Amino acid sequence: MDCVYSRNIPIADMRVERSNKERTNLTEAEINREYIIKEVRSTDHELRNFLFTLGCYEGESVTVISVLGDNYIISIKDARYSIDLDLAEVIIIDKCN
Amino acid sequence: MRAALAGNPNSGKTTLFNAITGRVERVGNWPGVTIEKKEGRIKKSINKINEDIIVVDLPGAYSMSPFTTEENITREFVKNENPDVIINIVDATNLSRSLFFTSQLLELDIPVVIALNKSDLAKKKETVIDIEKLSEKLGCQVVETVSTRSKNNGLDNLITAIVNAKGRKQAAPFDGTGVDMTDKSAVEAMDRKRYEFVKGIVEEVEERKVSSNRQTRQDMADRILAHKWLGIPFFALVMWAVFSISQVHIGPLLADIFVGWIDGFYAWAEVLLDGVSPVLKAILLDGIIGGVGAVVGFLPLIMVLFFLLALLEDCGYMARVAVVMDRFFKRIGLSGKSIIPMIIGTGCAIPGVMAARTIKNERQRRTTVMLTPFMPCGAKLPVIALFTGVFFDEAPWAGTTMYFMAICIIVVSALVISRITGEANSRSFFIMELPEYRVPSIKRAVISMFSQARAFIIKAGTIILLSNMAVQLMQTFNWKFQLDAEGTEGTSILAAIASPFAVLLIPLGFGAWQLAAASITGFIAKENVVGTLAVVYGITNFIDLEEFVLVSGSASVAGIMGLTSVAALSYLMFNLFTPPCFAAIGAMNSEMENKKWLWGAIAFQFGMGYTVSFLTYQIGTLLTTGAPGNGFLPGLAAVAAMIACTAYLVKKGNQKAAEKLALSA
Amino acid sequence: MANIIVSLIILGIVVAAVSKIVIEKRRGAKCIGCPYSKSEGNCSCND
Repeated sequence: MDCVYSRNIPIADMRVERSNKERTNLTEAEINREYIIKEVRSTDHELRNFLFTLGCYEGESVTVISVLGDNYIISIKDARYSIDLDLAEVIIIDKCN
Repeated sequence: MRAALAGNPNSGKTTLFNAITGRVERVGNWPGVTIEKKEGRIKKSINKINEDIIVVDLPGAYSMSPFTTEENITREFVKNENPDVIINIVDATNLSRSLFFTSQLLELDIPVVIALNKSDLAKKKETVIDIEKLSEKLGCQVVETVSTRSKNNGLDNLITAIVNAKGRKQAAPFDGTGVDMTDKSAVEAMDRKRYEFVKGIVEEVEERKVSSNRQTRQDMADRILAHKWLGIPFFALVMWAVFSISQVHIGPLLADIFVGWIDGFYAWAEVLLDGVSPVLKAILLDGIIGGVGAVVGFLPLIMVLFFLLALLEDCGYMARVAVVMDRFFKRIGLSGKSIIPMIIGTGCAIPGVMAARTIKNERQRRTTVMLTPFMPCGAKLPVIALFTGVFFDEAPWAGTTMYFMAICIIVVSALVISRITGEANSRSFFIMELPEYRVPSIKRAVISMFSQARAFIIKAGTIILLSNMAVQLMQTFNWKFQLDAEGTEGTSILAAIASPFAVLLIPLGFGAWQLAAASITGFIAKENVVGTLAVVYGITNFIDLEEFVLVSGSASVAGIMGLTSVAALSYLMFNLFTPPCFAAIGAMNSEMENKKWLWGAIAFQFGMGYTVSFLTYQIGTLLTTGAPGNGFLPGLAAVAAMIACTAYLVKKGNQKAAEKLALSA
Repeated sequence: MANIIVSLIILGIVVAAVSKIVIEKRRGAKCIGCPYSKSEGNCSCND
């Protein structure tokens, strides 16, 4: 069940992360287009490490397959994951690719 | 020798485990079904070498790092218990992710055998994997398997490979040892190199025709099935179809035949017992055969239902339901993971409650444990089926409504609890791997159905049988151990025990001691509600109602129980939404690890069940007759007191939350 | 006579039911007859 990963973050921390949004994150990605992950912007080490084991780390490619309300269906390394808005916002991607 | 099964979640470990050991552990086509290690012996029929092999099935892991509870179990076992061989299940459709874990397993100096599972799916996608090269690159044996198949599945080759691998040295193709584990950046750099290494291998051994990051027809399906709004009516439709088939169409058809046999047996026994003392006759006929028979009569309905639920789980739809529900769950302070215990809880609340163990946040875990039993479990199905059949004309909406009622109650309760605990302000991330849809296996659904049926019969023959007998005895005798005369059951031991409770239930629409007694025995096992009703009202057949009219001479079962449809609905909800059976309460106790939470949970569940029944009965009666039902005012006072008490706790919780916020700011 | 036989039958059924419960409990079942409710941390692979 490790693929169902959830963690609590105090809401105050998340506000800081959100205000800092000069680069594009996954929520602004075009559907069906491959992007390169620039950064996983989170102070939560465990979360970053967990995403790493799925193959979600800088330099890897990611594709948004569909957006279903607050959930983003993404494809990383031949697998489909459903992630939520909060998580999509911390995955910073590079547009020019 | 001992062999450990390790691999990514949903790579098919438990399916393979069941296939080689002949056990029937729970499987599902969604990640995270296994939360504890399970052991079994390889069955003789495929163990040609005759070596005694014990296989340990471990929960899924993406890496050796202890990020999740399941990964911890897997890591601890592999590191500390020194299995002779590790069987690494690799999902052939996702080599690039799976081999990351593989490369870590290869470093442990325990011989590794790779089972390249789901190789049929990979072939369907025209992905070609060069097995010899893969084996050579990794320095371990690679065997292609299709564990969902019963023949030509490669499992015999796998076992031969395991036996050959025993005692061998394992060289690591990628050596990541010697890195200072406390230095975070060094570890990260190393893991990056590890991924590079894996990428290199995948490029060499794998040839893909279909790129997996393009939209497929499956993704189109997801847009509807997991859509934020459309997903809910679709789920309702699916559940309605499940109930319609199991309780209206195929289920009753089989049940009629089955109940015919039970009735035949009853009649045969009745003739045989001619001339025997009436007390003994009553115990054997009405208590044992009648009571157990009434419960067992629902077996076909339940089997059909579990067959359909197994098909649903197998096809990959449940993971989509979890995605749809996640939105609501997060908003109410639960973890996205909380949905899994609840889905498992539709079978039995106990494994459901146990599955909550994987939720790391203590408050979310305890809240999930507290709310999972609201989900109608398999034992509650006969109760639902009974009331659907007797009072609601077998309408499939009745059962479906109960599931959605349960979801609503869970949502409301979670909101209240998060306010009481003062942690309404935390958010959580949610990731769930979406397994591919597949055509569900009839064979696996049949196996699951029979294992449920077997369990049901065992339960009927033990706990339910003994309960029914006790009920029969208590009904037959009064406190002076004299036989009750005909028509004076009101003075029996059972009536005396149940009557004080019955008074409390008048505002809910069912103040009869018989109904109270059935609810009380329901805490031993929920099927007992049906068994006890059968015993106290002397009804042995709840299914074939046409025949029933002939036998009893009364107009209907509904007439005997003296319940209106509204009161019946209220009674059904009372039995579904009050605390679960004692066994499930025991499981709640061990998962919560806190007596205050446990008693709080039981009190909350009672309060919730009472309030829901009260509202159903009173509002329903008001709508149907234009006047409130019996005992409106005392009931209102009780419910108001409970709500006030909750409101007080919420207020205290809000203060706590405000203090916390002030501290962190 | 018939009464004694019937009593014995009832007694037999009760003994069978109780012993089945005891056996299942010993095997680690948390709930008799609930599938998948066994917790086996340690080996019980002799079945």
